[in-house]
Amino acid sequence: MRPWFDYIRRTPLLLFLLGYTVLTGGPFLWVASMSLRTTAEIFADPYALPGHLHWEKFADAWMQSNYSTYFWNSTIAVGSAVAIVTVVGAMTAHCLARYQFRARRIVRFVILSGLVLPPQMLILSLFQILLDYHLYDTLPGLALVYVASQLGMTVYLLEGFFAQIPQDLFDAARMDGYSDFEIFWRITLPIGVPAIFTTVILNFVTLWNEFLYAVVLMTDDDKRTLPLGIMHFMGSHQLDVGMLATGLMIAIIPIALIYALFSETMIRGMSAGAVR
Amino acid sequence: MAVVVIDGLSKQYATGGDFAVRDVSLTVADGEFVVLLGPSGCGKSTVLRMVAGLEPISAGTVSIDGRVMNQIPAKDRDIAMVFQSYALYPHMTVYNNLAFGLRRRGVVRAEIDRRVRRVAGMIGLVPYLDRKPHALSGGQRQRVALGRAIVREPKVFLFDEPLSNLDAALRVSTRNELIKQQHALATTTIYVTHDQVEAMTMGDRICIMNQGEMVQIGAPLEVYRAPADTFVARFLGNPPMNLLRTILTQAAEPALELDGMRLALTGWSAAALAPLIGKPVILGIRPEDLYETPAEVASGPPHLVDVEVEAVELLGAETLLLLALAGARQELIARVGRSTGLKVGARTRIALDSGALHLFDPATNKAIPRTA
Repeated sequence: MRPWFDYIRRTPLLLFLLGYTVLTGGPFLWVASMSLRTTAEIFADPYALPGHLHWEKFADAWMQSNYSTYFWNSTIAVGSAVAIVTVVGAMTAHCLARYQFRARRIVRFVILSGLVLPPQMLILSLFQILLDYHLYDTLPGLALVYVASQLGMTVYLLEGFFAQIPQDLFDAARMDGYSDFEIFWRITLPIGVPAIFTTVILNFVTLWNEFLYAVVLMTDDDKRTLPLGIMHFMGSHQLDVGMLATGLMIAIIPIALIYALFSETMIRGMSAGAVR
Repeated sequence: MAVVVIDGLSKQYATGGDFAVRDVSLTVADGEFVVLLGPSGCGKSTVLRMVAGLEPISAGTVSIDGRVMNQIPAKDRDIAMVFQSYALYPHMTVYNNLAFGLRRRGVVRAEIDRRVRRVAGMIGLVPYLDRKPHALSGGQRQRVALGRAIVREPKVFLFDEPLSNLDAALRVSTRNELIKQQHALATTTIYVTHDQVEAMTMGDRICIMNQGEMVQIGAPLEVYRAPADTFVARFLGNPPMNLLRTILTQAAEPALELDGMRLALTGWSAAALAPLIGKPVILGIRPEDLYETPAEVASGPPHLVDVEVEAVELLGAETLLLLALAGARQELIARVGRSTGLKVGARTRIALDSGALHLFDPATNKAIPRTA
């Protein structure tokens, strides 16, 4: 086939990809450029490229507006929630995928029903439960809520992956003398690494950006997470667009890092099934 | 070194459901190689998994060296198993696949290394010790699976159709390799397969199963020569045994009436045949016991039968003839020499070896054993 024909054939696809990239990457680049401009400059010309790069805005956002506290709070709450939900979710998924036990279907249904319940429906009861257990307005309380909110999705994704691991592998490990827990630890987990990284990334991104639970369950300014902190730049009478953009860019950094580190493994997890 | 005794073993998956395995009893002597043979779904793998401890036992017992194993977990039975899918740990190198079971058993590191390298040397895996399973060919993976069983030095080997994922040529060489290793190690072995060639060539004894039950057990040639029922007769041998509908008659001596022809029976006592006189019986004869000329018949006086050649299959070393009995629609297959001159449509008279006839009772499908 001649090359020019090939180009023509691919043009619609390339146009589509170009459009999609502009649509998703455009706003990101715009915020990125605004994060280096002052609010006055932005109001003068919203779409202009930065003339002078105001890197000092990042330092200002971090030091002057309690941003470091929010960042630290987010890291604690989201980091611990992701760690717990990964371990608990992987164990649950392993049990559901591997063992036949009484009430298995009910357990599975209860866990997966977390996928379909909207957070707005749960927020009042969660509020009451956290109050009762003195966890209201605490980071551990928020982390526990995060664990519960992401458990359904995590189990759902991991169970599907784990169920594809051939039963013979588990039988072989049993014949080799390993206990059920050791089999989970030495067979399921290492083989399931791509799927586990997938859930780590998805959970991290979701929880890092989580707003509703954080705004209802945290009141003390020193305990707030990043999405609430960004709100600070949006007063009721004025909007500091420049600082808001800088704050957003800082908030994105960990997500970008996690994605850069784990994206390869995550894509392997998405195209799962290649166990053998 | 171990004696495995399977006694009245049964498996029922759901209460009240059908039995997947029913009342199988079998003793495997120390160092013996027993093959469980049967079509897929006959329960042979279930028996193996119950022996391994991977499947709960519904009834009966499995004992190894006199100790009942029913409640002993798989890991404590000192059994190694080779799976049809090989079940190699995909995230571990060949070395670690071999060493995995030893590590759990607390074998010291130097001893693990010595045993892994010795076994790798035995089965030609030394160049691949650092590779992961996905970088190996099917035959190499199969050898790793075998090595993983050998390195444990278990009391009993269990094989669950280990050759069925290999191509035909590799299967033959791996089969020979397996026989060699088993002889060298002299470990008690139970081997499951649906391939009768594997069963005939590998086993000291063959145990044939059908629909969850054990049908016959014996040395390969013994089972081949004296099948217990029509199922075994058809299942062993390729092409399978010819089974023909006949009527048992008695004038001066017992004889079979086959589409108007009369075949005198020798080898059965009158007493054994008496209850069946005048009733239909099934006549069995293997394709290799049919001859083009009476002179070729070896063991008994020939019976001559008129047939028409319906098809000729030239296989190179031999020729298969599909024959139709002159009087009726019954067909039979003969295995003759490659130099046969018979063509499709030819009418001829074929010789049956009267010493190689088998009789089966159509009511039970069981063989009517020869008495002399």
